Amino acid sequence: MGDVIEIKNLRVEYPGRNRAEPARLAVNGLTLSVRAGEVFGFLGPNGAGKTTTMNVLLGFVNATGGDAYLFGVNVREPIARQRIGYLPELTYYYKFLTAEELLRFYARIFGLPRAETDRRIDSLLKLVELDAVRRRPIKTYSKGMQQRVGLAQALINNPELLILDEPTSGLDPLGRMKVREIIQRLKQEGKTVFFSSHELGEVETVCDRVAIISQGQLREEGRVSDLVAKYRCDLERVFLKVIGYEPQPAN
Amino acid sequence: MTTASPYAWLGLLMTVSFSLACTLQPRVVSWRERAGSGDLIKILLGEGRRLFANHFFIRADVYFHSGYYPSIFDQADKPAPTALAGAHDHDAHTADEHERQMAFLGEPRDWIERFGRHFRITEHTHLTGGGEREILPWLKLSAELDPQRVQTYTVAAYWLRTRLGKVTEARDFLREGLRNNPDSYEILFELGRLYHENEHDAVRARNLWELALRRWNEREGRKKAGEQDLFALEQIAVRLARLEEAEGHLARAIQLLELARRASPHPAALDAQIAELRAKMSTAPGK
Amino acid sequence: MNKVLAIAGVVVKELYRRKDFYVLFVLTALITMLLGAVNFFNDPKIVRYLKEVCLLLIWVSTLVIAVVTAARQIPAEKENRTIFPLLAKPVTRWQVILGKFAGCWLAAGIALLLFYLFFAVISESRGGTAAAGAPVTAAASGPHDHDAHAEEAHSDDAGAAAPARRALLTYVEALWLHWMMLAVVIAMVLLGSLIFAMPASNATIQFIVIAGILLLGEHLNKVALRQVEPLQTILQVLYFAIPHLEWYDLRDFIIYDHPPVALWACALATLYAAVYALVFLLAAWLVFRRKGLTT
Repeated sequence: MGDVIEIKNLRVEYPGRNRAEPARLAVNGLTLSVRAGEVFGFLGPNGAGKTTTMNVLLGFVNATGGDAYLFGVNVREPIARQRIGYLPELTYYYKFLTAEELLRFYARIFGLPRAETDRRIDSLLKLVELDAVRRRPIKTYSKGMQQRVGLAQALINNPELLILDEPTSGLDPLGRMKVREIIQRLKQEGKTVFFSSHELGEVETVCDRVAIISQGQLREEGRVSDLVAKYRCDLERVFLKVIGYEPQPAN
Repeated sequence: MTTASPYAWLGLLMTVSFSLACTLQPRVVSWRERAGSGDLIKILLGEGRRLFANHFFIRADVYFHSGYYPSIFDQADKPAPTALAGAHDHDAHTADEHERQMAFLGEPRDWIERFGRHFRITEHTHLTGGGEREILPWLKLSAELDPQRVQTYTVAAYWLRTRLGKVTEARDFLREGLRNNPDSYEILFELGRLYHENEHDAVRARNLWELALRRWNEREGRKKAGEQDLFALEQIAVRLARLEEAEGHLARAIQLLELARRASPHPAALDAQIAELRAKMSTAPGK
Repeated sequence: MNKVLAIAGVVVKELYRRKDFYVLFVLTALITMLLGAVNFFNDPKIVRYLKEVCLLLIWVSTLVIAVVTAARQIPAEKENRTIFPLLAKPVTRWQVILGKFAGCWLAAGIALLLFYLFFAVISESRGGTAAAGAPVTAAASGPHDHDAHAEEAHSDDAGAAAPARRALLTYVEALWLHWMMLAVVIAMVLLGSLIFAMPASNATIQFIVIAGILLLGEHLNKVALRQVEPLQTILQVLYFAIPHLEWYDLRDFIIYDHPPVALWACALATLYAAVYALVFLLAAWLVFRRKGLTT
């Protein structure tokens, strides 16, 4: 199977708010690919261009130059998103809907048949442990419960590629562990997971390959074990070295 | 320091609200007296209520025409039509004149206007056969907002007594109008017509018309010649003359017709009536 | 189409789980019933003023529902960040626009139906159809030959059934055209929601525009004739460019028991509304598809 995600010389420029302000280059010539079945970590400091890259993949933002493909289909085509699931960092869903209604809505967007929808909703709500509250409006859910609803909606179409934006952000240790378990289970099922995270310890545990970007450019890419061997330190120090940060010695 | 009990706060608030109510009550009474009315809406609207009263009077006219009525843009070059008020002064208000006033639509200027006419009422009709009742709410509302608008009382009373068979309601409404406008010869005249035409009480009708004449002299007599309401004078004088003629008081009838003649734009017809009465007087036995 | 209907379904659910519709309906019902209890000169058969007030309240309420609902759709999705999980699915921005439009329009239609049903109940309870309608006479005969003409006006009707059928057709036409007008309004507001920053400013501007069109739209050509250039040309261009929403206001036809509008005219007005709605929706799509959305 070919590359699930293919990014070629991606360039994204945001215009200045007025004539005096110059355009801001968020992503500058990024080239990247993610193979089928791997768990890929997308790392970088704040403002590096990670979110912008993800926004391009998901069709929220149009690239100024270059191309991006999902399963060989240009990301500008809506059909490119037929086989993906997306979990945003900040999870907000229609508060007036129940969890069941929300999943049914998204299932309908994917064109799933009724029987299949019912079966998937039942299994997903059990997986994320929201079966008991499936008929309560989402506005009554805690943050952790809303995060779990988000995970359920990301999996409703049994996606081959899961794009996660800071999936463990704001979760307690139990929640983080459950997310790690789900990622590993998906990997065992042969799914591809592409996620960004600041929890480098987690990344080191679950990821096959990582890419580190800074100031819109790719700085380093490769297997976690290869990078650790190359820089002879843990992933966190690799990250800091790649982005050019020198820690101050303690006095 | 302990937090005050909720019941203490409740008691304090109730005490404050009762005290405020007692303090404000005399002020509210004085506001009403200043406004000349007990109605809160009139107090709030102030003089703007007259605008609303006028609007509602026109609304009654719109209802009378079943929605076929010129807008302010259609009326820009022409005076407003007056079928509602004019119908009860039909001697001076001919059907032809009214038709001319209501022919405001004209040929459509473009396809939008032409097509748009399918969605508006373009037929000139009047309410009849009891349908006139539909104008009453607007007249009532107009009178409530502007009790000094005399025409509202006379128009409403006309339709109530002549087309809707509600003589009692018409009389009560006119009396209400008279309480609000004690010097109004128009209301006195209309009340006289009610007693004469509906109640067949010639004595009351005469008294009211005589009073109307006096009020007219007091109000209109002071004005310059061109500003006087001569139409009303002619109406009162002619009807009083007819009453006097029916009672056999021919000299008084002639006197009144001569008064009407001075006010009338068409004196020739009255001249003929005066001559006829004079002839009757000269042939009457024991005049 | 399924995706559009799915998005529309969410919009309808939202409207009926909010309080807006219920508050407006209860207010309309309360005011109408209070006014219906007023005694005017001891005549219980007076009905037209009640119809007028009730229909005015219905118009105001449905316009508020349509404008406020449409104005907050896309801004609320962006503010609440629910737009991201939606657009991450295989759905185009055109489908989102169309789905939002369909949802708002359907929701407004259901609200309209309920309001008009209430109106019909009130109207019938006062004997307000042609069965007890106020007779009229053609004014050309003069306002005073009323008795003869009242009989003549009624002699053409075959009993009470024909006027009742006519009244029902007028009601149906009024409801249909009102719904068509709301289609144009909703499409216009959706476009506005992508241009103006705040839903409140969009809603305010749209209310002013709609009120202006309803009150002045048909008279712009008359006003233009009295102006000097270039104002005359500007007003005339405006007159031909604006959607003439006043065509869809058949309240007078109901209030005054007027015969219904010709069906072909209704059909053409429907087409006119569809064209304008499509133009606004296409413009909304053109604006929306260029908008970058950052998470």
